[in-house]
Amino acid sequence: MHISLHRSFRLIRAAAFGLAASAYGMIFADSNFASAADDSKGIAFFESKIRPILVEHCVKCHSVEKKLSKGGLRLDSRAAMLKGGDSGPAVSPGHVEESLLLQAVAYDGGFYDMPPDGKLKETQIADLRKWVEMGAPDPREENVSHSTVVASSGSAGSAGKDHWAFRPVGNPPIPKVTENSWPHDPIDRFILYALEKNRLKPAPPASRLAWLRRVWFDLAGLPPTVKAIENFLADSRPDAEARATVVDALLASPQFGERWGRHWLDVARFAESSGGGRTLLFKDAWRYRDYVIDALNADMPYDRFLREQIAGDLLSAGTESDRARQLTATGFLVLGPTNYEEQEKYQLRMDIIDEQLDTLGKTVMGMTIGCARCHDHKFDPISTRDYYALAGILRSTRTLANDTDNVARWIDTPLPASGELADAIAKHQAELESLETEAKRIRQEILRLDPKTAALSGDGPVDPADLPGIALDDSTAKAVGGWKPSTYGGKFLGEGAVYDEKRKDGPSTLTFDPNLAKSGKYEVRLAYVPHSNRASNTPVTILHADGEELKRVNQREMPPLEGRFLSLGTFRFEAGGAGFVLVSNEGADGAVSVDGVWFLPADGSAETQVTDEKDASRLTEVRKELAATEKKLKALRASTPVRPLAMTVREHEKIEDSPVHIRGNIKTLGARVPRGALSVIEGVSFSEIPEHSSGRLQLAQWLTDPNHPLTARVMVNRIWLWLFGDGLVRSSDNFGTTGEQPTHPELLDHLAARFVADGWSVKSLVRTIVLSETYAMADSATPEAIAADPENRLLARFPRRRLDAESLRDAMLMAAGSLDMTLGGPNILGAKAIDANDSGAGSIEYGYKFEDVRRSVYTPAFRNKRQELFEAFDFADVNQPIARRERSTVAPQALFFLNHPFVRQMAETTAKRVLDEIISDERTRLDRLSLLILSRPATDAEAAALLPVVRNASAETRRQAWTEVAHALFASVEFRYVH
Amino acid sequence: MPHDPSTSSRRQLLKSTACGFGALAWTALRGENAAASGSSLSINPLADKVPHFRPRAKRVIFLFMSGGPSQVDSFDPKPLLDRTDGRTMHFNDPRSVAKTGQGAPQRVMKALWKFKNYGESGLPVSDLFPHMGSVADDLCVVRSMATEGVAHGPATIFMHTGSTAFVRPSMGSWVTYGLGTENENLPGFVSLSPALGNGGPRNYGNAFLPAAYQGTPVGRAGIPAKESTFKNIAGLPQSSDDRRRQFETIRRLNAAQTSAYAEDSEWDAVLASYELAWRMQTAAPSVLDLAGESQATLKLYGIGEEPTDNYGRLCLMARRLVESGVRYVQVNYTDNTNNPSWDQHSNMPKHEDHARAVDKPVAALVRDLKARGLLEDTIVWWGGEFGRTPYAQQNGTGRDHNPGGFSVWLAGGGFKAGTAFGATDEYGFQAVENRVHMHDLHATILHAMGLDHERLTFRHAGRDFRLTDVHGEVVHGLFA
Repeated sequence: MHISLHRSFRLIRAAAFGLAASAYGMIFADSNFASAADDSKGIAFFESKIRPILVEHCVKCHSVEKKLSKGGLRLDSRAAMLKGGDSGPAVSPGHVEESLLLQAVAYDGGFYDMPPDGKLKETQIADLRKWVEMGAPDPREENVSHSTVVASSGSAGSAGKDHWAFRPVGNPPIPKVTENSWPHDPIDRFILYALEKNRLKPAPPASRLAWLRRVWFDLAGLPPTVKAIENFLADSRPDAEARATVVDALLASPQFGERWGRHWLDVARFAESSGGGRTLLFKDAWRYRDYVIDALNADMPYDRFLREQIAGDLLSAGTESDRARQLTATGFLVLGPTNYEEQEKYQLRMDIIDEQLDTLGKTVMGMTIGCARCHDHKFDPISTRDYYALAGILRSTRTLANDTDNVARWIDTPLPASGELADAIAKHQAELESLETEAKRIRQEILRLDPKTAALSGDGPVDPADLPGIALDDSTAKAVGGWKPSTYGGKFLGEGAVYDEKRKDGPSTLTFDPNLAKSGKYEVRLAYVPHSNRASNTPVTILHADGEELKRVNQREMPPLEGRFLSLGTFRFEAGGAGFVLVSNEGADGAVSVDGVWFLPADGSAETQVTDEKDASRLTEVRKELAATEKKLKALRASTPVRPLAMTVREHEKIEDSPVHIRGNIKTLGARVPRGALSVIEGVSFSEIPEHSSGRLQLAQWLTDPNHPLTARVMVNRIWLWLFGDGLVRSSDNFGTTGEQPTHPELLDHLAARFVADGWSVKSLVRTIVLSETYAMADSATPEAIAADPENRLLARFPRRRLDAESLRDAMLMAAGSLDMTLGGPNILGAKAIDANDSGAGSIEYGYKFEDVRRSVYTPAFRNKRQELFEAFDFADVNQPIARRERSTVAPQALFFLNHPFVRQMAETTAKRVLDEIISDERTRLDRLSLLILSRPATDAEAAALLPVVRNASAETRRQAWTEVAHALFASVEFRYVH
Repeated sequence: MPHDPSTSSRRQLLKSTACGFGALAWTALRGENAAASGSSLSINPLADKVPHFRPRAKRVIFLFMSGGPSQVDSFDPKPLLDRTDGRTMHFNDPRSVAKTGQGAPQRVMKALWKFKNYGESGLPVSDLFPHMGSVADDLCVVRSMATEGVAHGPATIFMHTGSTAFVRPSMGSWVTYGLGTENENLPGFVSLSPALGNGGPRNYGNAFLPAAYQGTPVGRAGIPAKESTFKNIAGLPQSSDDRRRQFETIRRLNAAQTSAYAEDSEWDAVLASYELAWRMQTAAPSVLDLAGESQATLKLYGIGEEPTDNYGRLCLMARRLVESGVRYVQVNYTDNTNNPSWDQHSNMPKHEDHARAVDKPVAALVRDLKARGLLEDTIVWWGGEFGRTPYAQQNGTGRDHNPGGFSVWLAGGGFKAGTAFGATDEYGFQAVENRVHMHDLHATILHAMGLDHERLTFRHAGRDFRLTDVHGEVVHGLFA
């Protein structure tokens, strides 16, 4: 366990840079507290205890920035506090009795009782007292942008700028090595140089089988096919040539994009629902997923790839399809774990910006910049000013379509569709409408034919008890305020209706609580008596299982259903749940009439029974008609042409710089900061932002400038990580001062420079690395080598690593011959039929059954519900950018392999494959099975462990015995690892 | 199990040390090597750990009342509500403030249930919870709670993780990280019947803490407690002989594979994970199996009768889990909707249905723990993510969310029994006296467990994180 941050940072700063100490020395030259250790303790005390009190309770009325210095008093800087206000100095360092601040907070009526909204906690008062006794250490200087937290520029910065990662990428010379016959590529020389310096030797090359399995999983995420194994083993050319053939084929296959696209999706914290409180389905997120896969397959230059994701909407597009692609790319900024139901919508907006900055910072630059939202970054040279310079760019960018709704919404942008598709959509819509009209007509007829509901078509009242579902008369509603009975009209539900009385003491409401016995979807119908004096905007609230809906009803118009009911829509209700319908007269522009509410089951279960013989045949006929029409409707709905929509951002209609939010608080705003980039990055200019532009394009250009010290370094480090299990900088998402040093700094720069020089080509860099001798080493090592470098940082051997969740699943499906290799497209069952922003879409996620057998990159990536194997095997945390996944080893994984039906099913299907082959002896059959699962024949030791199982089996149990063997192979250690 | 004698000591050790796998997994995660094997066992992530200082309690049972029970109808009597019932007054309604920056006129609504004084302490409890009333002398009611988040999602996540918006470890994960577990055959943190909504897995997630500290869900909301068990603990229709044979085959195969290579801590960790899984298969179902409980106990919890059967089972499972050494057990009373269980926006009387389902089981749990001598070092925390308003929502017949003032109670674990701490204003709206923010409650419960919330930190993405962020004060006044 570590000491907590907010205590430790000042100590660290004091120790590392002597900053706090020297600042203290200047300000408190006259104080009794002279030693550096005491200084930093005092400042730490101020930071952790005192500053929060002042910010939360005092400076909103006592600061220059709010132009409020009540009583002439300001508490926003040390000098101002010592100067004091109309009553004298607020604080007298070391003198408790003379410090007016302490008298005010004592709340004893002796002086001002401050703060006015209530006495501070005793602990807070004690802290203030202790602080004054300490001599009131306070680092806040006068000229700090009038804000209490924006530190003077460059304080932390000047020290941090020397950090290796912020310096320009160099072009280090290729080192000279002794063992000249080993290296194949300059990469090998850098690795060998470090090994030789530490008196280590590289491991011998891996066997062809081991190398092939390794490179297949790394480039395609799949085990090699039997054919690929046979071809490679039969290739008599030297290793280097044979390997190159394999690698080029893999790079050219669409599986490369699926595999490497998945890596990027981790970094982009890709998910197909918002997660969090009220999870919303990202129905169209798959387009972004496919965009990423396609970009990797097309080897789109990485700088362009980034620019499209950050500012694709602002880039010029040659063709319609370019335009569609670039718009889709900006989904990158939208796909975060947004809390759309946050009630404070300005807070929501700033949270989204923060999430976007965090993602951009980590994804592109390997920097945690979120810290600077509330205070200057404690360790890295990023000031709050820098943060809000970036925040202004995203604040001038629109991410929410609507930020006033109870549950906010993202932006769906229609993508350019071809004329054919547009026609199809229009035609479909027309057909749908005509069928719906027809169904409605038939339903009306059924109601008329049924003696119980026949009355609906007449002019008289209807007994609620006769209606299917639950019909509630106004008399059964809970009434608040004034409601008067009325017998005007005649088509009543039950007896008469009511109309509202306008009262001064608040709105009158009627609440209908259906108390449903059965969960499901219900159509909610409101009965009222129309009149020209009625309200045109009667508010009706429906609280259902998926949320709350406010409808406005125009009661001047005739209710469309038999002149009695208006349908409010179909909603899901839970049996015994909290659902209700509330009619109010709040803000109504006329009289509000209520006659009742009818909850009609939407599943057709409420069909009425006819008792009158003479209508029976007609009724049967009409019901058949209805069934046929509904069947047609269902089919038609299922074949809705997909209107291509993408989740995007766009430029905000109001372009503005962001004010600093003091301590990140949306209620305490400081000075506005001009939009721009991080000041620590030198040698990369930020283009001037044109008028009426957010600056996103300029930000994208700045980030992808060839001279940017972080962008290329961070990416090549990740590419290394995805091939070797760890980066050259092991803290792959943190290149800041608290991150790790690179193990091979020259190699990192060599790769970064080469990457940029090769036109930011990911494929080309991957090719270079996997064809190196370093990548081809065996995973074995001498005990001496292990002892000398237990963590294998110098790479004297190939690092073993556990397969990720997707590879495990895909490899099992492939062994079983069940893997569906369909490329791209949507893959959430049921998502097509639902509105993307419908909160009811959450139930698709909760009830989701992961049953498809497509490649795992297409498995719905919900935030609240995971595929079970993914959950057990460290699928990426989709809530934040992550380059290096956890690789845990825990018992639930063993339980998964022991008992999950999927594993058993795969074992059974795989066993069946080898049982169906004509093979003379069981040992050969075991080799076939092993080839499918472990990509190599079984060893003798394995055969000794497994063959008794099948040899002891009878004819009846043979199939089961082979299933057991396949199951054991899937559960084995080697299946789970590449090595 | 055939193996190379040179590796036997280490692999034997793994077999005999129940939690060895964790230690090795940990070293594997850390990239540490086999060479460090001797010391690695001492940093087993789930090993029972020494707290920062002498603890009052060793384990926690959190009875989560999802949706937000109403304080003025349960533990916080406000006579003024009776007198002003129906009157329209201005309140700073939190939803209204969040959206418009100002409050609105609201109609005061009196408590729907009468209060009685219970036990020697005379602690008032409403007729919603007569059984809880009967154990009033063991309860420490905190009437001055306040929290963050006006909607269920943010407030629920905040209650579990200390953050409304960011992904942070759940409290149970922090506690397990700080203290480990007392039973190596069971997870350290179990969440019984959790919901998929309002944060779902995030509410028992380890976030950036190592995976060993993640909460293990048992069942989920909507699945009857009777059918709830650990994932993949069974599943395949196999006889126990088949099961054992399959396990032995896997064990033989893994031995054959690993013996061909030099020792590898990660691979050893995999072997050990199978051993533990095998033991869990035996241990876990029996912990959740209530068959061995006496009729009297089942009756006490209301098991076998409606409407208490389901929550009664969950509460009894919780007792059995802590008895077996599980560190942190959460017992959820919730459902999978966005307006879960106690969320009575209309129809306040429906509170009574929920009360009837939980009242008896909860009281039984307190009584049972006490009878077994477990209550003194077990913290029972009962409460929701926020409370409800003392006025009617939209002038209707329900109450809206209220994060500014609500009640929870604590029992056992050295908390002051038979008392009410702090106070809301005279309407029961905002906490005004001895306000206890959710951060403070977190800090206080950690303190009772012997953990300093400012020192229980984890370094992630370049900085130290903690459950209480930069907030939280231990409320010493809550301790006896």
